[in-house]
Amino acid sequence: MCVRLYDVIIIGGGVVGSAIARELARYRLSIAVMEKNPDIVCETSGRNSGVVHGGFAYDPGTLKAKLCVEGNQGMDALAKELGFRFLRCGKVLVGRTQEEYESLQRTMAQGAVNGATGLSLIGRDELRRICPEAVGEFAMYSSTSGVLDPFGYTVAIAENAAANGVRYHLCHQVTGLSRRDGLWHVQTTKGAYAARYVVNAAGLGCGVISDMLGITGYRVIGSKGDYIILDKHTGPLLPMPIYPVPSNTYMGIHVTNTTDGNVIVGPNAEMTEDFAYYGVPQRNIDYLAESASQIWPHIHKQDYIRNYSGILPKWVDENGVIQDFKIEMKPEIAPNAVNLVGIESPGLTAAVPIGRMVARMLRECEAFEENEAFNPVRRPIVRFAELTDEERADLIARNPDYGEIVCRCEQVTRAEILQAIHNPLGVQTVSGVKLRTRAMMGRCQGGYCQMRIAQMMEEELGLPPQALISSREGAYLFEGEMRKGGGCA
Amino acid sequence: MRTIRHDAVIIGGGPAGLAAAAELDRLGVHDVLVIEREKQPGGILRQCIHEGFGLARYGEALSGPEYAQRLIDELTSRGMKVMTDTTVLSLSQDRALTVVSREGIARIEAGAVILAMGCRERTRGALAIPGERPAGVYTAGVAQAYMNLYNRMIGRRAVILGSGDIGMIMARRLTLEGAQVEGVYEIMDTPSGLPRNISQCLDDYGIPLNLSHTITEIHGGARVTGVTVSAVDAQLKPVPGTQRYIPCDTVILSVGLIPENELSLEAGIALDPRTRGALVDEHLQTGCPGVFAAGNVLHVHDLADDASLEAEAAARSAAAYLRGELPCCGVSVVCGAGVRYALPQRVSGGQDVPLALRVSRAMGPCSIVLRQAGREIGRKRVIRALPAEMIHVTLKADQIGGCEEIEVSAE
Amino acid sequence: MNRSLTCIVCPNGCTITAELDEHGAVCALSGAACPRGEAYARQEIERPMRMIASSVRVTGGAAPLVSVRMTKPIPKGEIMRVMEAIRSASVPAPVAAGDVIIADVLGLGSDVIATRSIDQKAV
Repeated sequence: MCVRLYDVIIIGGGVVGSAIARELARYRLSIAVMEKNPDIVCETSGRNSGVVHGGFAYDPGTLKAKLCVEGNQGMDALAKELGFRFLRCGKVLVGRTQEEYESLQRTMAQGAVNGATGLSLIGRDELRRICPEAVGEFAMYSSTSGVLDPFGYTVAIAENAAANGVRYHLCHQVTGLSRRDGLWHVQTTKGAYAARYVVNAAGLGCGVISDMLGITGYRVIGSKGDYIILDKHTGPLLPMPIYPVPSNTYMGIHVTNTTDGNVIVGPNAEMTEDFAYYGVPQRNIDYLAESASQIWPHIHKQDYIRNYSGILPKWVDENGVIQDFKIEMKPEIAPNAVNLVGIESPGLTAAVPIGRMVARMLRECEAFEENEAFNPVRRPIVRFAELTDEERADLIARNPDYGEIVCRCEQVTRAEILQAIHNPLGVQTVSGVKLRTRAMMGRCQGGYCQMRIAQMMEEELGLPPQALISSREGAYLFEGEMRKGGGCA
Repeated sequence: MRTIRHDAVIIGGGPAGLAAAAELDRLGVHDVLVIEREKQPGGILRQCIHEGFGLARYGEALSGPEYAQRLIDELTSRGMKVMTDTTVLSLSQDRALTVVSREGIARIEAGAVILAMGCRERTRGALAIPGERPAGVYTAGVAQAYMNLYNRMIGRRAVILGSGDIGMIMARRLTLEGAQVEGVYEIMDTPSGLPRNISQCLDDYGIPLNLSHTITEIHGGARVTGVTVSAVDAQLKPVPGTQRYIPCDTVILSVGLIPENELSLEAGIALDPRTRGALVDEHLQTGCPGVFAAGNVLHVHDLADDASLEAEAAARSAAAYLRGELPCCGVSVVCGAGVRYALPQRVSGGQDVPLALRVSRAMGPCSIVLRQAGREIGRKRVIRALPAEMIHVTLKADQIGGCEEIEVSAE
Repeated sequence: MNRSLTCIVCPNGCTITAELDEHGAVCALSGAACPRGEAYARQEIERPMRMIASSVRVTGGAAPLVSVRMTKPIPKGEIMRVMEAIRSASVPAPVAAGDVIIADVLGLGSDVIATRSIDQKAV
């Protein structure tokens, strides 16, 4: 049997796997990413708060602290290079009691040790000035914190990796790893592959893949958090994320502005062993609203547009204490393999530094040749909604598809939808189009445009109606044609 | 950027917009532009293939597409056209619009504007229905478009949340196409759709209507696999112990319509939180002079006939405005006991005004009473009053005395 | 014996009460706001009839379906059989609103007619 051979196979195409792939694409290597889902933002990378952390919240000396600070510092340049949305808007942790004040002082001190910059303790007046709607007597202000669009960010990294030769294999769940003849043999649900090196960047699957590598004994549990998304008209009331004073292990329920002007409320944190259940129970919705209302009084049910949840993979010791990121090579057990375990928050912020660290580890095994053709720059889909009327007119003159608004709420044009349908990763899901364009993400949630987008996908991709899925395998939209042989509108 | 000027611009080419255009032409305002974002005019009527439209306007029961065609034919016979495939991006206080199409961007200055953008459906997220987020949850209008316009079969076994008219019509439509409809679940203790739809869409096909029930969880990691439904108490809270699991592959939401007023808000037009449409005076003029609103963008109607008749009234006002003849309206109309909303919210006292209103809860035989400063100035008896049915009452000019507000109540 | 009906003739949806004799025939009616409602109630009790609307497949058209309705009500018990006939029908484009798609469907005296026009697909 003919098996496709790569230099490196990365298991997991989320933000961390993609960042590793992009860093490795700087060298002359054949690289593949095995992603079990039909898109790369189906799990933790796409289901979070989108906060770029300052790095003050982690124990000094940990990888979390070091890589987070590094990731934060590089984010402006990265956003420019890759064309994703990042706002260095700062954030506040608000408190009321003496105990909380002391806790914030300790957090400040820890931040200083970690190298986090831009931290200050501010009083009520200053808090009113920078974040007028925050409720608190005082706050710790972190000027370097920010928010990014987690979908756009992950997709940007992955698309740039793909543009530099990385091959994405979607719907490829890794089912087995074995080492023969100096190679890693990678069994997937869509066939067998082989590689000289493998990297476990499987996120929620990190424990399973680690076991497959033979590096056993890691206990990985899920921390599930639910969120509520609020209508854009709440956006102006929240210039930066507002957090409560954190406990040791948990950031607390916060309100976060998004790069698109919405507000998200959450998350709670519930331990779970089910890494595929993303249901949001009523009691949690109510709890989030009630809890976050204490720090920001603008959460009203009529502004809810959607809820969602995400799960963080946490590596815990035998006592259940959450551990640092584990990024290791164990040549004696699993040669030529990098094993990443427990990459949870601040993994979004730290993804690129993690990628660099993994690349360094592999280069210590072998001197890879530089890839002179590597181009770190990626051009995003130009968004009609963000242009001036003059720019819009120019664009339409060059491409009339930019004159056809498909999604009214978010003002997304046919040209943007077409670019998303033909995305560089070959993602063919409806939510793939949604996350790449914001179409169907507005207040009507696709009530006006989803039929047109589904039809465009069927036509452009040559898909039969029953093959169209929303985000996961099995998430079909249609039984098929209502009248056989009639085609679509 | 091109700038063009028209006497009247109508935003939206559905039943309201089309009817307003014809009425303006009839009144001698010939420089009228109707802007429609879709490829064809007709609005939501295009997908409403069931019959029952037009009893008031045409004296016969037409299907939605036929009703739309009558309105389009009327414009065609007047030599009028609808500008299709064109989206309005913005509207300003001084009635300047920015529009976009494949031809480019243009600025349009209007002597008068009629807002006729219709409404959108309330979504799952707006209700915050708990549970997973599988595929197979459709709003009734989306389901209707997929089946009636796009030839797509959306599922085989459906549960319907909400007893809105489109939801009930889709229950029948799905049944006729061989799907199993497990039931309609309505959180309120009265249906939100019309009685005749309960009869001809649900009763005819043995589809149970469960009042005071709601979906408390949606199940399914990929596609819907089922829902949990529960009874609710008087505060609409689920009653513990009443949960029941119903296997299904499709959930249809028919839980309300919301006037589509994003453009109006951007133009600084004040809305009524009760209707979620513009606050208007007896001329259907919004707070922005020369901008009128009619149809479902103003308040959600039961019937296309009512929406189009209201639009004709707005057109008459727009024509009068262009002639400089609109008297100002200083008397407020407010809601009293039992009334969810009443429209218009301001009147002049100079002419009789038809009021449209909805009650807040179902009542048997009752009276709609109009009072000014405690004095009764009008009364209409009805044999029943349902939130689902809009009630029309005439406010008589000769009964209005002074500028005190007029209160509308149901007793 | 009394039977209560919701009239479906118009949006008023009157609640009509019919007084029936021992054979199930109508002796008296109350509650209808108009004569059409009374006629509906009699018909409904003696032989319920319905209008149905659906879609028929179009070949070579600018749209895949043409919406259709009946020209006259059909017996309620025949709805599913008529739906079968509608489901298996097919019509080539162009179609004009009002075109008869199935004449005298199942011999019930009602035609299935198009309620919109469909142009031929642009080549």
